[in-house]
Amino acid sequence: MTTVLTRMVARLLLAPVLVVAAAVLVKGYADVGDGFAAGVIAALGVLLQFLAFGRAAVERALPVRRSAQLALVGLLVALAVAFVPVLAGGAPLQHAPAPGGKVVHLGSLELLSAVAFDVGVFVLVLGLSVAFIHLIVGTPVEEGGQP
Amino acid sequence: MEVTSGRERSGRAAGIAAVAVAVVAVVAVLGAWLAGGGGFDIAWLPTWDARLAFRLDGLGALYALLATGIGVAVFTYATAYLPRHLEHEQRPQADGRRFHALMALFLVAMVGLVTAQDLLLLFLFWDLTAIVSYLLIGFDHQHREARLSALMALLVTGVSAVLLLIGILVLRAEYGTTSIPELLARAAGGPAGPAVTLAGALIAVGALAKSAQAPLHFWLPRAMAAPTPVSAYLHSAAMVAAGVFLLSRLHPLLASSPVLLDGLLVVGVVSMAVGGLLALSEDHLKRLLAYSTIAQYGYVVTMLGVGGAAGAAAACFYVLAHALAKSALFMTSGAVTEATGGKALSEVGGLARAMPALAAGSGLAAAGLAALPLTIGFFKDELFFKAAAGRGQWLAVVAVLSAALTFAYVTRFWTGIFLGRRRRPARAVPRLLVLPVVVLGALVVAGGVVVEPFAALAQAAARVTAAGPVQVDAAYHLDTRTENLMALATYAAGLALVLGRPALTATLSGFRRLGQLAGPERVYVAVLAGLNRLSNAVHDIEVRDLRARVVAVLVPAGALVGIGVAATPFEGAYRAGSFSQGDAPLVVALLTCSLAALVVARLRHHLALAIGMSGVGFSLAVAYSLLGAPDVALVAVLIETLFTLLFVAVFALLPRRVLRREAALPPHGSRRFRDPIVGAVSGILVLLVVWAALSRPTPTDTTASRQLALAGQAHGKDVVTVILADFRGLDTMVEITVLVVALLGVAALLRRGRLW
Repeated sequence: MTTVLTRMVARLLLAPVLVVAAAVLVKGYADVGDGFAAGVIAALGVLLQFLAFGRAAVERALPVRRSAQLALVGLLVALAVAFVPVLAGGAPLQHAPAPGGKVVHLGSLELLSAVAFDVGVFVLVLGLSVAFIHLIVGTPVEEGGQP
Repeated sequence: MEVTSGRERSGRAAGIAAVAVAVVAVVAVLGAWLAGGGGFDIAWLPTWDARLAFRLDGLGALYALLATGIGVAVFTYATAYLPRHLEHEQRPQADGRRFHALMALFLVAMVGLVTAQDLLLLFLFWDLTAIVSYLLIGFDHQHREARLSALMALLVTGVSAVLLLIGILVLRAEYGTTSIPELLARAAGGPAGPAVTLAGALIAVGALAKSAQAPLHFWLPRAMAAPTPVSAYLHSAAMVAAGVFLLSRLHPLLASSPVLLDGLLVVGVVSMAVGGLLALSEDHLKRLLAYSTIAQYGYVVTMLGVGGAAGAAAACFYVLAHALAKSALFMTSGAVTEATGGKALSEVGGLARAMPALAAGSGLAAAGLAALPLTIGFFKDELFFKAAAGRGQWLAVVAVLSAALTFAYVTRFWTGIFLGRRRRPARAVPRLLVLPVVVLGALVVAGGVVVEPFAALAQAAARVTAAGPVQVDAAYHLDTRTENLMALATYAAGLALVLGRPALTATLSGFRRLGQLAGPERVYVAVLAGLNRLSNAVHDIEVRDLRARVVAVLVPAGALVGIGVAATPFEGAYRAGSFSQGDAPLVVALLTCSLAALVVARLRHHLALAIGMSGVGFSLAVAYSLLGAPDVALVAVLIETLFTLLFVAVFALLPRRVLRREAALPPHGSRRFRDPIVGAVSGILVLLVVWAALSRPTPTDTTASRQLALAGQAHGKDVVTVILADFRGLDTMVEITVLVVALLGVAALLRRGRLW
């Protein structure tokens, strides 16, 4: 069904797609894009693999069976960022450093707790999207065309 | 039962743990009560001014001691009953864990309910009891009867609980608090206004449904599908007691409206009559007791309707005496069924010789319920008669008649089981099925000899109910005072009823048939069936036909928008701005979008459809980016790509000939007229609204502009991300949680709940 060309393009694209997703995530606080967009970009890379190679091959090559757990991890990260300040007596999602505080930079990555929250969103969206795709692709087709 | 596995033992251990919980609870409540009450109060929902406030006052102590004390007896009974029950039902013994845990949870909910000092808190426990009771009544879920009964109990008490919540909110709107002491203090100021009367009526409906009062009583006899310990606990001392508890708790408030008290009186008298008459003709052991419970709580509701010091004293003492006797009788019926297999009076008889201890214990309890002297029950009727006679002649007559009914059906119940001809042989039953009955029966007699501790407890509760000094005067007087004469009349009338019952059979069965034909249960069934039909009809419209579903969204939305457009003045609302050369790319993008949309409407081939729709989306994304919304544009591009690829993937999975066959089908009939008209009209209306919105001058000080200004302080340059992760971070938090729930739903649909 797929040609050599599509398979090669799909294989070559996976790494760049993931890098783009990481870039969108890291630059999210300074430029267009955020955790959600980054998660969808990364999921697109995985979807491309499904299209080109089929479900069985992707399941062998990538840990797609663990995608639902990945989504839970993302949710837990976001929850942790949201509720750790509560333990310290603050409000939920009270980010550090506070307004006016000094921000540590690591290249273009700003070390903010808000970015950590966004990372949680990214992991969750990636996990969810791949889980949805995996579920839809993995549904057996019954005769008559009703999935 | 000889071979005990680990899981089997865990069921038994759970039973013992439940007993331990009940024992600890009863000791704690008794200790706290003797130490003078007490409680605690911590902040809970500051914006609603609701607090986690618990206090053990007299009323709370009475009901908490009943819930925990009867709990000890019933839980002990359950440790012996449940293994045999599970064996009969051919279920694994490990299921017992669930049962005992639910019973213990019910006990905790009940104690929380009766000690809560905040109406919202009370409501939480109220609903918790309803949910746990649903699970307990439906414990034998392999039987359809049990499932339907559990649902009925949940619907009747749950829907009426919504009325209760509305009543609470009306009170909060009126007095500005949900704290019960503050509420009562503020309400004590004067007579109730219409809002307070309405709130009181709503609360009363919720409470009366919980206490299985007519006409919402029908769920209780059905609930007898539950295992016997559930009935002995929930339907004698706990769940049904919660209703009259709430009426007692808020009695000072209810008493400020004479209409409400008269309403309670009527409901109570009707329940006494309905429950008593049906109990007299019922054959099924547990259902007989259920009808009796309806009648007995009818007494309590009547007394609360009478009100005042006498009414409060009678109501509180009645609850105490009734709970002791009734749970013993429920447990008796369970033991009898266990021994003989008979579930109805016509299937058992003559068991006194085979089961002497059970006969003695339940005999004492029955004597208590029939109000014979030397039992605690005698005083419950004395106080009841006194309050009734104080209210008026007619109520005194009603009181004697219903007490005579009680006497008659309790006599029928006990003599029917233990005297007469033996119909079935009796097997030996475990001692723990008999012991709790004997203990409770002994307590019933102890209360008849040394009544002071019981009277003191009831008196403390009655003082809270009446919000004033109350004297519970329980003592034997050997003179011809009214109460004594009424008691004698009761015994005489009761005996006459027992002896004359064969002559009454036709009347009683006529009454029963009337209830079956035109009773409230018929209404319940009809309403439920109607709702089911409505739901099916809506489901058919929504799910069977995708086009109808789209129309169902577009037409009401279009109508609303149309009303809005028609209601707004046209003058100056639609302004056409000037066209500059810089706008040309935007116009091109929008034109492309419209063209793509028109093409999609004509396409037949699946892959072409998917590509066409992605064309609509991508040209919209271009428009977004030209309008200066790069974040929205990025997300639009990503989502369009994702969906297009997904469509392609799904088409690749489907067999070619299926796709070809579907594409060759003739167009749906609605495509000629309905779809174009609906689409055009709703499109034009939306255009008008957007046009009007864009015609307005841009406001300067908006939330958006303030957030733009604040983004720098939050160390962000991209305001959209800052809003998502910081300003509205909690919204994002909730939304991603919803996403995870959606994943569970999709997995449940596509893979029967298996995620990986």
